[in-house]
Amino acid sequence: MSQNGKPKIAFFDFTCCEGCQLTVIDSLQTHPELLDVVDIVQFREAMSEKGEDYLVAFIEGSCTRESDEERLRKIREQASIVIALGACAHLGGINSLKALHPLEDVRKYVYGDKADWYETYDARPIDAVIKVDGEIPGCPIDRDEFIACVKALLMGKKLPIPDYPVCVECKLKENVCLFKKGKVCLGPITRAGCNAICPTYGASCEGCRGYITNPNDDSMREVLAEAGLSVDEITSIYTMFTTYQVQQKMKQGKETV
Amino acid sequence: MSVTIIQKQDFPDFVNRLLSQFRVSGPVEEDGGYAFRVIENSDDLRLDYPTTILPPKKFLLPTKETLFEFDKSGNGTVQAPVVEPRTVVLGVHTCDLHAIKLLDRVFSTGHIDPNYTLRRKQTLIVSIECLTPCDENSFCKSMGTLSADDGYDLHMTDVGNFYTIDIGTEVGEELLQYAKTAPATEENMKKLNAVISEKWPRFPYRLDFDISDLPSLLNMSMKSPLWEELGERCLACAACTNVCPTCFCFDVRDEIDLDLQHGQRIRKWDSCQLDEFATIADGHNFRQSRALRQRHRFMRKGKYILEAHDYLGCVGCGRCARACLVDITPVGVFNELYRQKEVGGQS
Repeated sequence: MSQNGKPKIAFFDFTCCEGCQLTVIDSLQTHPELLDVVDIVQFREAMSEKGEDYLVAFIEGSCTRESDEERLRKIREQASIVIALGACAHLGGINSLKALHPLEDVRKYVYGDKADWYETYDARPIDAVIKVDGEIPGCPIDRDEFIACVKALLMGKKLPIPDYPVCVECKLKENVCLFKKGKVCLGPITRAGCNAICPTYGASCEGCRGYITNPNDDSMREVLAEAGLSVDEITSIYTMFTTYQVQQKMKQGKETV
Repeated sequence: MSVTIIQKQDFPDFVNRLLSQFRVSGPVEEDGGYAFRVIENSDDLRLDYPTTILPPKKFLLPTKETLFEFDKSGNGTVQAPVVEPRTVVLGVHTCDLHAIKLLDRVFSTGHIDPNYTLRRKQTLIVSIECLTPCDENSFCKSMGTLSADDGYDLHMTDVGNFYTIDIGTEVGEELLQYAKTAPATEENMKKLNAVISEKWPRFPYRLDFDISDLPSLLNMSMKSPLWEELGERCLACAACTNVCPTCFCFDVRDEIDLDLQHGQRIRKWDSCQLDEFATIADGHNFRQSRALRQRHRFMRKGKYILEAHDYLGCVGCGRCARACLVDITPVGVFNELYRQKEVGGQS
């Protein structure tokens, strides 16, 4: 807590595009009053000052190398509350796609003959390394949802992340269903909170927010198959953001990709 | 009651005059579908629309509304909701009229809902006679909603180059001051009668049994294996209930400003098909399976609401059937339950 009574918050990034932190900056433009209620002490994307005394840590990005684990643990030791910010931190996100290929091949593809210079391992969400107290989903996060989450944190409440699918928000906006237009969409099983932004602009939901607690996976796969997708295409849709989760399930013998 | 006519060529003028006095909404085409929207010009109207994604219910029970605003600072104050503008809803189909009659009863039974009542009072309904089925999913004739004797302020029928207008209420009659009307001639009435008698054969009965048997059929079907089958298919996306003209369940939440002093209590549509709906404080969910939730939905539609409010909870509009990605439809469900009963598989 600052002397002015405002909680100190800090932003950190691991492997990501930093688009979620950009969305935080964007939300400061729509809600400048945010700065009246919190003190931002560290935010590399937006300021030079760097305070190490913080109550809440927002972490963007997935963990993609062993040496990052130590930094994550230090943040965890300092912060009373750790929030995963966006799909990479929350799910592993698109970074975890590399786990679908042999690591050596991926290293060569990215770093060429310098592959040995760079350390890397399978990308994972930060809760695979440290305990996380809440997640703000999305690729990128939704700016209004970020503000709603900050309010919930200030009140000591659970983050207000819906546990119903994107279809709910999409129907209430009266969008013509993408399946009726011959497209496919993961809206029926993907966690809402984005106000169905992709389907609203005619783009299929790709599941960046992760799935609802109890998705009907079998039925969703049948719907996708009936829409003409092959097993491989269905797998690639499912693994776009959630390769890590799909592989974890496979390890537990619950599912085949 | 005397019938009035408006020539079609005079109708845009009527709408444009209404626009100068009221908020006017009606069916418009959007992205290959149709929706009730507030219009700015009579040209936007598509009175020949088949059906809309959401029913006109949304003007009476908005998908999200502020119940009141609060201020926790000082002694704390609460500010009542904003007054709605008077709204004319044009082109309401008779299935939706029946649904609004049900909603009127629901929201005035027991606790009289002030927000619904206010909006209802501010809303004028100009319905239109359906002359062809919306599509293969409509089953209004089976549900007895293919016509309506009341529930409208004005009711229009498309009779070629003119509309006949039935006046349902005094406020409806007042609306006609903005229109160029004429009393219907004998010739006009003959045409109207022909249009009406010709329309009925175009609509098929789609239920295999009489609708009056639906409550007892459902009563016997509590243990039908069909519910488990539906549960396996259902995506629990809540599309069925969100597009339903008779569903009225809502959730109430507080949204607070960043100062943590000012905020709004909001109400938004909820759905019995969602996991969270029947989850209570300790995390227990008393309708945990999708099968139980689908059963609950159909029991509401064909039995529970009838028992509570004397109207069936389904008006046969077919919106849920159109919205469902896994082909769970009232016609399919009700006919299958009837078939199971007939073969004696269920008791």
